[in-house]
Amino acid sequence: MYGYMGKFLRVDLASGKHAVQPVEEDALKLFLGGRGLATHIYMREADPGIDPLSDQNKIVLCTGPLVGTGAVSAASCYVVSKSPLTGTLACAKTRGSFGAEFKFAGYDGLIIEGRSEAPVVLSLMDGKVRLKPAPHLWGRTTSESIRVFKEEIGDEWGARETRMAVIGPAGEHQLPIATLVNEGFLTVGGAGLGAVFGAKNLKGIAVKGQNSILLADGAKLVQVVTAMINKLNGSLITSEIMPQWGTAFLVRMCNQKGMFPRNNFQSTATDVKTLGTDAISEAFSLKSRGCFSCPIACLKKTDMDHPLCKGEGAAPGFMAISSLGANCGINDLKTISRAYMLCTEMGLDPLAAGGLFATAMELAEKRRISADDVKLELKFGEAEEFLKGLELVSTKKGYGRRLGMGGHGLAEEHGLPDSFMGVKKGPVPCFDPRAIQGLGLHFATSNHGPHQIYGYTFMDELLDVRQSMDPFETESKPELVKEYQDMAAVMDSLGFCNWVLLGLKFSNLVPMTNAVLGTSHKAGDLMEIGERVWNLERLFNKRAGFSGVDDRLPKRFTEEPIPDGPAKGLVSQVPEMLPRYYELRGWSGDGDILPETLERLGLSGV
Amino acid sequence: MPRIKIDHSKCTGCRHCEIACSLNHVAGVANPRRARIRVFEEGGVFFPVIAGPFVDAACTSKNLIEIGGHVYDMCLLCRASCPQKPFFIEAETDFPLKCDFCGIPPNPSCVRWCNTGALELVED
Repeated sequence: MYGYMGKFLRVDLASGKHAVQPVEEDALKLFLGGRGLATHIYMREADPGIDPLSDQNKIVLCTGPLVGTGAVSAASCYVVSKSPLTGTLACAKTRGSFGAEFKFAGYDGLIIEGRSEAPVVLSLMDGKVRLKPAPHLWGRTTSESIRVFKEEIGDEWGARETRMAVIGPAGEHQLPIATLVNEGFLTVGGAGLGAVFGAKNLKGIAVKGQNSILLADGAKLVQVVTAMINKLNGSLITSEIMPQWGTAFLVRMCNQKGMFPRNNFQSTATDVKTLGTDAISEAFSLKSRGCFSCPIACLKKTDMDHPLCKGEGAAPGFMAISSLGANCGINDLKTISRAYMLCTEMGLDPLAAGGLFATAMELAEKRRISADDVKLELKFGEAEEFLKGLELVSTKKGYGRRLGMGGHGLAEEHGLPDSFMGVKKGPVPCFDPRAIQGLGLHFATSNHGPHQIYGYTFMDELLDVRQSMDPFETESKPELVKEYQDMAAVMDSLGFCNWVLLGLKFSNLVPMTNAVLGTSHKAGDLMEIGERVWNLERLFNKRAGFSGVDDRLPKRFTEEPIPDGPAKGLVSQVPEMLPRYYELRGWSGDGDILPETLERLGLSGV
Repeated sequence: MPRIKIDHSKCTGCRHCEIACSLNHVAGVANPRRARIRVFEEGGVFFPVIAGPFVDAACTSKNLIEIGGHVYDMCLLCRASCPQKPFFIEAETDFPLKCDFCGIPPNPSCVRWCNTGALELVED
């Protein structure tokens, strides 16, 4: 089994017992690893109707077979469970070296069950599995928790090698918008998983080890990876733009096409001078951080001076600038970076938190929430009160208690459900779906709530990476959405980051995969695995109570045209595109997977 | 004589050099603990350290080094493997490792995979 460690670890937090189990080779063939395998295992372990915060819920972590092997930009560990925010599956993707170190610790994956009586950190270090008592870490910010835990290792060099994923106070308070943080970076996607950790009294996971990963053809991998590094170097976007600014370059591009929303999607930003790349260069001295074996290094850190974070902190990227910025009416990077820092330290998902505040601000604007009642002036562009609100939410104080339920719950409570811009209770990322039709269709149908990392059609619709497609048009978009969703699913199962596609083609990933695994896959075979994973996730969500009815965007996107900017007058055509999308997927007109599709994908028995 | 020049300001901590070294020295094995180059982080700066001589005794004194206003423990930059700093000793065999320029200069595998320019081969 080249590329794999061959072992899964099962830990019961209630009894403290653990057991090692072999990975099933049949499942590896069907799902590869990472997101696919984790979902497969989670589905077998947990009932779809389960309360995500109950003791019976489980958490499955799994790395991809290419992680840690040197394959370019393959670094992630995927954390899968049911999300208390959406009620669908949630899948968080770690960054940095955590995923690789997890493998060097000797495991492909981890199944966590039960609930610990007192706070613990699960430590998988040097072949020993331990639940380390962590009451003194409870209540601490994420960077502080990691620092204290590492200090207590008592071995400076051992601490350097240790990698951790932890929750912050938001996760401890079991907020449905809480997420995980590893090495100072928020995980991508997976809003709500922080609360699942918190409900289990699991503060975090520490990994370290010195196991080797065996490859089928190391010499071939060296040769292919060398060529891929040169190829990434030859692309402007992966050799200059991403290394310089990270994802923040998307701000201006989105704005030019009229898809950069402001004030809870009520208008589109017209001036992004204070938010774009020039402003970033001026505001921060950016330091690039590469995830394990990633030549692009798009993550950015900068110096921070704040009581919660002295020294280095993560600099805001596109998601932060849009969700915690323009969509809340905030136009200055200082406020945005402080908000992002709060999210990172408290363990809040920036997309879910941004969506929450944008909703709250609209509710206040429409006089559904009164500042006197809540003792918080919620108003688009009101920076200080916004930051204060974020702190209240993450510490569950004052009006933060109500806000912490997330944007959907808040909008319902105040009788204006349409003011929450989300799908399946997850907030829509700040690409206005009315101005980017394919991505809108993806948001409506995504298995984990709307998030562009599960279907990156914007790479063709906005960045023209493979082909140039007009974002305003709907032609061939259902095909594009299916293709990118399947591609994302298989890349997440192998361990690849989505951004690598800015410099490489999907077909470039195939030789790396084959060199590591010793297989003779073709691109089409991998895409089929992606399709299988996508359908498996759909199956879980169906059993959890979701159906085609939930594949729709909020009314604002399908009924209210964009009022201004280059995309003025457009609405989302998702209802028109859905039938074709279902047909391509082999689903019924109601969005149910047809038996023959399940059979074709080998999922009949699931 | 060719040398590897290290520019700390350019290192992003991606550790691709470690895997390049590991793959080049032990066929088909990816493991940073078997690499002859390791990247250490201190105060937000990454320090690629290339394995030098093996010593079986630790220094009797500690040295500090100031770079750009920040004081570092010299052990961080030291290339030797010693009882105080148990790096560059192969885990499974206890065999001390030392950079060999991957056999034939001018093409050390770490330099070839370093995309940021933090590692560079120079002639002097």
